[in-house]
Amino acid sequence: MSTNDYLVLAGTFHGVHAITRTITPRIPVPSPPSSTSTTSYAFPNPGIPATGLEYLETEKFRLTCFQTLTGTKFLLFTDPLTTNIDVVMRKVYELYADYVMKNPFYQLEMPVRCEAFDRHLGGWLRGRT
Amino acid sequence: MSQHPRHSAMLSISTSNSNLANAGADKQQPSQNVSTPTQSSSPGLRVPSNRKTIYDRHLNRSRTAELSRASFAFLFSEMVTYAQRRVTGIQDLEKRLNEQGYPLGLRLLDLLFYRTMSSSTSSSLSSSSTSSSPPNRPLRILPLLHLIHGPLWRLLFQRSADALEHSVSPETPNEYMITDNDPLVNTYISVPREMSMLNCAAFVAGIIEGVCDGCGFEAKVSAHNQPTEMWPGRTVFLLRFGDSVMEREKVLERAGVR
Amino acid sequence: MSTTKASRIGEELWKTRVDKINAELVTLTYGTIVAQLCQDYDSDYNEVNKQLDKMGYNIGMRLIEDFLAKSNVGRCANFRETADMIAKVGFKIFLNISPTVTNWTSDNNQFSLIFEENPLADFVELPDDGRAQDELWFSNIFCGVLRGALEMVQMQIEAHFVSDVLRGDDTTEMRVSLVRYIEDEMPPEEE
Repeated sequence: MSTNDYLVLAGTFHGVHAITRTITPRIPVPSPPSSTSTTSYAFPNPGIPATGLEYLETEKFRLTCFQTLTGTKFLLFTDPLTTNIDVVMRKVYELYADYVMKNPFYQLEMPVRCEAFDRHLGGWLRGRT
Repeated sequence: MSQHPRHSAMLSISTSNSNLANAGADKQQPSQNVSTPTQSSSPGLRVPSNRKTIYDRHLNRSRTAELSRASFAFLFSEMVTYAQRRVTGIQDLEKRLNEQGYPLGLRLLDLLFYRTMSSSTSSSLSSSSTSSSPPNRPLRILPLLHLIHGPLWRLLFQRSADALEHSVSPETPNEYMITDNDPLVNTYISVPREMSMLNCAAFVAGIIEGVCDGCGFEAKVSAHNQPTEMWPGRTVFLLRFGDSVMEREKVLERAGVR
Repeated sequence: MSTTKASRIGEELWKTRVDKINAELVTLTYGTIVAQLCQDYDSDYNEVNKQLDKMGYNIGMRLIEDFLAKSNVGRCANFRETADMIAKVGFKIFLNISPTVTNWTSDNNQFSLIFEENPLADFVELPDDGRAQDELWFSNIFCGVLRGALEMVQMQIEAHFVSDVLRGDDTTEMRVSLVRYIEDEMPPEEE
């Protein structure tokens, strides 16, 4: 896939993700932890917000979405049988925090092109297999 | 600038040109702190009533203190970003990073001397004047290079540098190389392809330059990418000593000074 | 989440998950950044404060990802929890300090951070030019970091220093106010 394809995919996914969040049925919080039940309606913060689409699966592959609290989303394509995807996701997030966020030549919101990120992620993945 | 003589050991509001003139003033500070710990000599500055000033707290307090690598990485990254906005090219950027490292070299040199001095001759410290040179101050190039390769690197990066070499070319006897296989300052940095000549360890080159100058060895220091398959971030620091230094070397050699 | 629980998390992360570095390298590096700004802005300290805040903001927007990746903590239930998270986990894992959270307003939207220790300002003395102690907030980068980091997790805040031992005050205190929770950044939740 070209960079452009990735961008289109990310954009499409983002839209679908947002929609799945809005259509998440809302259940009244059964027992509010404190007396903030009236304000909790106004903010999306308290409690656990709707997560939106978490994975897409076909016969040949599975697309998993991991969203951080900042709204950054990581999409991972794997074999549908792959296990421990959450472990991979956490590692990807850590490497992203190190080799992308701490790189002065990476501009926020731009496609990630960081050689050290690719190298370390590749090295880590090879070490797992 | 008027505030020069008053600046602290760690923060200098100064240009790198004037740092040389300040090196002497800096050098006296450690022993002043020890001998007159109660009197802050700064009537112009307000101090907290609990007197938690730089004169009242021990210099070795932070000797083994640790912070996160992340906090350094974020500060350094922002330093590079800021510098990048104010320069026109890669050379210019490296020059600026070098200048930002330079004052660290001067200050770390004092700290290194002070610490090796106080651990070896702590009893004579309070009475000694700073005019006598510390016992470990290098007079020749080789001891200076060992000071950088060993103690300085360990203070900054918790390990020695990886190699120390002398230029093999007879035309450039004044050139020395210190190699770091994986410079800590570059750990998280990926330089874009179009800037492939850039090495942000120019900051460290500036630190080295500050140490050399502070010791009286006029030198130009630059950082160069020399990647190998195993060490993609391998960096060679090239030290070029000035003519006066090389002439003095010859004199000292004849005099049998090591 | 209680303050003690946050402290425990912070301690644990510092011990097990944080790569360490010599503190003096960080202190000196910050010092040279401030010195450079003072030089670039001709000792216009108000401008230096602004620049430090801006740098902090840039750092905060990135640092939050590192904080979340390392800590694996969830969203805070309220601003009081956020304050503990900043003081006992955030400052702990990046600077190995835990400033005290205090002086809450009755609406729970404003608090102070009191810094007993401040590694960035270690060994620092401000220039004795008759102005720096009145105008320069040496550690102003912290304000920007908090602003940038919290904005990324949908909180708009305002932060400023109200005292600093470097100015001759007895404490170093930063005031943090919640302006609002940012909802428009989130995908539409209410129709």
